[in-house]
Amino acid sequence: MSRAASTYAVPSYNATPDLSVKGVPPSLLSPEGSRLDGRLPHECRPAYMKTGAVNAAAGSAYAEFGQTKVIVSVYGPRESKKAQAFSDIGRLNCDVKFASFSTSVRGKASQGMEEKEYTGMLHKALECAVALHTFPKTTVDVFALILQSGGGDLAVVISCASMALADAGIVMYDLVPAVSLSCTGSEVLLDASMEEERWGDGGMIVAAMTSRNEITQLTMTGEWPSTKVSEALQLCLDACLKLAELMRSCLKEQVVAGGQ
Amino acid sequence: MVALSAAEVRFIQGGIAHDLRSDGRGRYHFRPFSIQSGVIPQANGSGRCKLGATDVIASVKAELGRPPAGRPNHGSLVISVECSPTAAPEFEGRGGEDLSLELQRALERSLLGGPNGAGAAIDLSSLHLLEGKVCWVLYIDTLVLSSDGNLLDALSIAIKAALSNTGIPKVEVLASTSADEDPELDVDNEESSPLDISQVPITITLTKVGRHYIVDATAEEESQMTAAVSVAVNRKGIVSGLTKRGGIGLDPSILADMISVARHVSQTLIPTVDAEIAASESRAAGS
Amino acid sequence: MEVEAFKRLYPLPFYERYLDSSVRPDGRPLGRARPTSVSLGAVSTADGSALVKIGNTTMLAGVKLEVMVPSQETPDQGSITVDFQMPPICSPLVRPGRPVEAASVISEQLSNVLTSSELVNLSELCIAPGKAAWMAYLDVYCLDADGSLLDTALLASVAALAHLQLPAVSVSEEGRVYPVSSSTSGDVSMEGAETSIKVKGNSISPRRRLKLGAAPFALTCMVHKKHLLADPCAEEETLLQCSITITMNQMGRLVSFYKPGGAVPATTAIVKECISLARRRAREVQQILKEALEDHIESPSLMQTD
Repeated sequence: MSRAASTYAVPSYNATPDLSVKGVPPSLLSPEGSRLDGRLPHECRPAYMKTGAVNAAAGSAYAEFGQTKVIVSVYGPRESKKAQAFSDIGRLNCDVKFASFSTSVRGKASQGMEEKEYTGMLHKALECAVALHTFPKTTVDVFALILQSGGGDLAVVISCASMALADAGIVMYDLVPAVSLSCTGSEVLLDASMEEERWGDGGMIVAAMTSRNEITQLTMTGEWPSTKVSEALQLCLDACLKLAELMRSCLKEQVVAGGQ
Repeated sequence: MVALSAAEVRFIQGGIAHDLRSDGRGRYHFRPFSIQSGVIPQANGSGRCKLGATDVIASVKAELGRPPAGRPNHGSLVISVECSPTAAPEFEGRGGEDLSLELQRALERSLLGGPNGAGAAIDLSSLHLLEGKVCWVLYIDTLVLSSDGNLLDALSIAIKAALSNTGIPKVEVLASTSADEDPELDVDNEESSPLDISQVPITITLTKVGRHYIVDATAEEESQMTAAVSVAVNRKGIVSGLTKRGGIGLDPSILADMISVARHVSQTLIPTVDAEIAASESRAAGS
Repeated sequence: MEVEAFKRLYPLPFYERYLDSSVRPDGRPLGRARPTSVSLGAVSTADGSALVKIGNTTMLAGVKLEVMVPSQETPDQGSITVDFQMPPICSPLVRPGRPVEAASVISEQLSNVLTSSELVNLSELCIAPGKAAWMAYLDVYCLDADGSLLDTALLASVAALAHLQLPAVSVSEEGRVYPVSSSTSGDVSMEGAETSIKVKGNSISPRRRLKLGAAPFALTCMVHKKHLLADPCAEEETLLQCSITITMNQMGRLVSFYKPGGAVPATTAIVKECISLARRRAREVQQILKEALEDHIESPSLMQTD
């Protein structure tokens, strides 16, 4: 890639400073123990979720966690692609895409890879939660579009997708809330923002079916002393539990509002 | 795909339940493995690991590049995995691509460290040459030649062997350059220095079959798995990456137990791997 | 027969019965468009963005700016690249990996309308003549497709361009462009650039909005027998005989006229009626856009923090 003026990306000039511009890792925690966006280490971002965002879909959901904005729609169960072999259980087909303006730099080269990876991870997080045997020979499509990337994108996509599946009336064993976490020094930062993800020592994503007490997807990266692993895992599970409550109450509200 | 009869399935599952697997191993025993260093002469370092019938090759190529954004004092590692279609029929076309990406991401998670480079397999600051300008980029390319289960662990062993075999050429930065221009470098390919591989982790994959989990599953055993967890552990027992791979959900307490089993297994496996690598290095040097 | 069954079995007679009594199944009179809303600044990673809904049809438009070296022929002009996307979330007919024919058609139409309407004077995108100019990437994503896609996409594009702010930048002698942040004017380095920059002698262009020309607005009409329906939903688009899309600017001038074949020819009288509907609609939409802009400018702090 040439470093000519044409490849220079305009930094965002809104409230959150684009830290890639400065080139110096910021300190993620102030001496008083609050984070860059003012949260406490174990505090989640304000979350907003709504089902029924796309009318054309069988089920859909929109989620906004801090700066991260995601829309997911679910189609089906419908006929599987002709080329696919016979299957006596249903198929779950996932696809995750970034909108071109969702990141600070338009159309990053790594985006295609990230989309593929997220697609795979979303599938793994959901496949054991969906009762695939209830729609044999057919496919349920889960499509996600990340409208604005602001950290913890995959976790938000997973949570939002399970809401969309519920909205579509697909039988599931449980909702799948997902939470990401970043660690820096001796602190773990729950529900990490973009900056924290970029400059942390390590990260973790947990997706869980909370009422069955089962972890459906877990990845960790970076250096983790064993004591911190279990602490972080517990924190994520607690956060998943809270998120599950939020998701349930949101689904109930929609049903009540729809009934009237 | 592995095709098994109902009797074979019961034999495998029953064996695992009784801690005596079909090839005579216990649940936490690895298959015998062999390591061969320096198999690719044109690479800066290379290693081949045969683990049962699983056969993988890793090579390391050191090139000069730019430091990663925001970390002017670091070098970088780039990992790629290719599954040869000759290794298994399902690697042809898309199947191989998806598996390659999955393995690559799992290796990246365990070897590249956190977003700021903490916990990386190689101390990234040791790859730095000139602040913000030039650094070493290590391209770690791996190839799966033959597959009989547990690819990820075999790949991590091959990568460790390759890194241990790697010599980084000596570089002199010629001082007479202005701040704006790219500096002039003098690369001496004759003299090279080894990498510090003490932090390179080994991946231990625990495969859950029935109520038990096993290490180093063969392809037959993998076909019966309900879930698998890959944990990267270094010599000090520090976990540097973890990936859950498909299957059913896991209870958090079982997961925590799996992590501790992986750490326990690693503490006997890593010295064996290190000894094998050393033996193979001396063989390569002697010949 | 039950109404639902009748609708499923004989969709066209079902519609025609409604049309004969000059009303549509959703309760609208034939000439009325669906409720329309515009909200600006929906995506803060974009330099300008707008979310537009016409009925159920939802579009999100975002503008990203990059710096380019202007071409030799037009040294004092920037450029705008328009792209319209239909991701698989928007409709059951779209599957991942397969490009949609309709999307590329609309993309082309959008691009043509925006160019021929002279909405944006490209020389406004100039930073330093011959050295640097803004390249604006306007991407419109369809989030929910329920008919009248071009109308909605065009409104979203116009709104996103109206919301767009060009950041304050300084230009060095050699034509390198550096951002000027409001708090620290000057010494900001970027990825891959030198660590320190001399600001002296650089010309600084302030943060500003674009001055837009007369904005174009589109209205799609369906012709069916003797009826004329404005702003069809997806069902009406597939059932009824032929469509006409008219783009008018806010001065009431015709920008484009599009009739893609169809089962019946359009008479002069029908075309005239379409034009008068489109003119009325343009005034209506312009008012909605104006209100959205005023709301946005009155409470800019709100948009900054979200």
